[in-house]
Amino acid sequence: MSDSSANDSRVLRKFLRHKPAVVASVVIAVYGVVAFVLLVVGVITLPDTLKRVGAELQPGLSSERLPEKRLLDCEWLIDRIASLSERRNPEKALAAFSDMGVRRIADVELDELLNRIDLAWESYDELADIEDVTAAAAGTLDDPDVPPPAEVRSMLTELEKRTDALLEPMTKAEKSTRWFELLLGTDRQGRSIFYRAVYSVRVAILIGLVTALLSVTIGTLAGLAAGYFGGWVDNVVTWFYSTFASIPNIVLLILLAFMFDGGHIDGPINKVTGGLLDRLIGGRLDETLIPVYIAFTATFWIGPCRVVRGETMKIKELEYIQAATVMGFGRARILLRHVLPNVTYLMLINFSLLFIGAIKSEVILSFLGLGVKKGPSWGIMISQSKSEVINSFFWQIGTATTFMFFLVLAFNVLSDALQDVLDPKHV
Amino acid sequence: MWSYLIRRLAYNIPVYFSILLLVMLALRVRDPVFGRLGKNATQEDITALRAELGLDRPFVYQYGDQVRQVVTFTFDEKSWDYDGQTVGEVLRRCIGPSLAITIPALILTSLLSISVSLVSAWFRGRTLDKSLVFVSVLGMSISFLVYIIFGQYFGAYRLNEYLGKDLFAIYYEPSASNATLGEFVTQVWPKYYLLPVMISVIVAMGYDTRFYRAVMVEESSRDYITTATAKGASHGKIMFVHMLKNALIPIITRVVITIPFLITGSFLLERYFGIPGMGNQLLMAVESGDFPIVQSFTAVFAAIYILSNLLTDVLYALVDPRVRLS
Repeated sequence: MSDSSANDSRVLRKFLRHKPAVVASVVIAVYGVVAFVLLVVGVITLPDTLKRVGAELQPGLSSERLPEKRLLDCEWLIDRIASLSERRNPEKALAAFSDMGVRRIADVELDELLNRIDLAWESYDELADIEDVTAAAAGTLDDPDVPPPAEVRSMLTELEKRTDALLEPMTKAEKSTRWFELLLGTDRQGRSIFYRAVYSVRVAILIGLVTALLSVTIGTLAGLAAGYFGGWVDNVVTWFYSTFASIPNIVLLILLAFMFDGGHIDGPINKVTGGLLDRLIGGRLDETLIPVYIAFTATFWIGPCRVVRGETMKIKELEYIQAATVMGFGRARILLRHVLPNVTYLMLINFSLLFIGAIKSEVILSFLGLGVKKGPSWGIMISQSKSEVINSFFWQIGTATTFMFFLVLAFNVLSDALQDVLDPKHV
Repeated sequence: MWSYLIRRLAYNIPVYFSILLLVMLALRVRDPVFGRLGKNATQEDITALRAELGLDRPFVYQYGDQVRQVVTFTFDEKSWDYDGQTVGEVLRRCIGPSLAITIPALILTSLLSISVSLVSAWFRGRTLDKSLVFVSVLGMSISFLVYIIFGQYFGAYRLNEYLGKDLFAIYYEPSASNATLGEFVTQVWPKYYLLPVMISVIVAMGYDTRFYRAVMVEESSRDYITTATAKGASHGKIMFVHMLKNALIPIITRVVITIPFLITGSFLLERYFGIPGMGNQLLMAVESGDFPIVQSFTAVFAAIYILSNLLTDVLYALVDPRVRLS
């Protein structure tokens, strides 16, 4: 016993000496905490990621917008509020306004609001007459009718002030919420990129954790049984994994996602078992991800199964296993108490590798429209940003890539460190 | 050698048949005819389509028919999307564009990443080596899709704007499919295929360089290297004559193993750039529920996959005399 704990602490010391690996573990832990907080406490909820928080395609980190864009953003907001005030029941429509995130419409009489709208339009019309506001504000427009650049800029500021007067001034708490809402800008539908990216941490960790855990467990059990018992068990397991391994990964994923799409599998299972799947993974673990979990697990279990089977076949021949057999221990006991602990390092390494695989495959599946269905994920964000990139708007793709980059990088570094520490002979 | 080859083949044949079985069963979990015609289909339509594809026959017959099609390589079922064309015709049309991406990508990736890994191994432990390893880990941590999106934006969109002419096409144009072989090599390929191939190479470089470097490092610590050094062989001779020759064994394995990965990668590339290859066609068929194409294309993909695995085994045995063939 003392021997094994000394061994453990040596591995741990070796791991702790590996500086990048320690940093990587901290990074992974941070992501894990974020996911846990989102999952259990629900700071950012699904509706938060779906609602409008302002004009579309806002740049993040309060970067400068082009004058043309500032004009467009004001136009959008004035137009939105003006159209609400023309409804049959304007008070009710205005009270329900939620297109600017936490911001509400100014709490004034309707007449006063209409007055402010007119003022804003007036200011807008002056600027809208100028053909190219961006050029006019920079002073590069060669046209005697256009006011000088300084005046154009102050007109723009005035317009923004008048537009802002349509909204209720923010309290301190609202200001900080608003800061987060606009931190990384908005997408094409005016949704907060920051909220979407953070919410996607939950999806990524969920997919990574569930599929890596399931695949490693299934793969290890199958590999252990095949390696230890041999004979027909080995034949069946080998047959299964050669079959699954011989279908190209992406084809199998597409096939499985296609097959489980639209509740064709989980529906019947739920019906027969009285809603077992819903109770098990519905809600918190997101039942729309079931096809993804199943498709990933069906392709990912092969890796751990192969290595564990090979290792078990080697371990089986060692003297201590023969000693255990001679001492009359049962096969199950030998397998679980004597063989399993010696393949746990393979489980750890594979877990880390599969986690990366799951996160990366999610992006590809989501791009193909077969992945995450409910709410955002990094894959969905990256595929959506395709049309934004053409318009030189990089905030969404940049944010999703950065969030994903650090998690995957951390797991890459961790996998390498685990290989070095636990399996130094491996190339 | 031959007996080994035949044995490997014999082992893979039942595996392939079970893949066919699995794929066919998986595709029948959802009623393909119902999925195709939608909710408003009349009973007559459903029965007619079912009979047309022979889906009303017992499953064993359907399985036998599929096996016959694969063995004789005559996919004579009618596609549902392309009026009057058989699956075989669609398949033949798609193979060319797919190969036009995968083969150049395979050759370029292998050559480049082996060269870079040699540089890395030459400067082992020094700044250049460390930064190369670092860059490849960074490259591995970015999604393939991001490479494609930025590749298209900077490589096609912005570059064309800068040059004032279309060097690389942003999206495939159907007229390009009618080109003759000469036109294809000189005009169509550089315009429509070169950019996707370059993206594919850049993505694969990270993984391959890291692996090849590890192989070189592993080789360089072997006894024969020590012997060669003791005999006074030069650094260059040791690396290119002694080491590279031995490192070729895992390298060749790796090159063949990446063939399936190239198929996977070209799925996304074909899709994104609209190239009419097999991957793109399969995805379109999945979307529109073109059942005959999905079934036969999956079978062909599995066959390519198994054949490349087989090739790995054989090459491995050929290159490395230490691998026993029994």
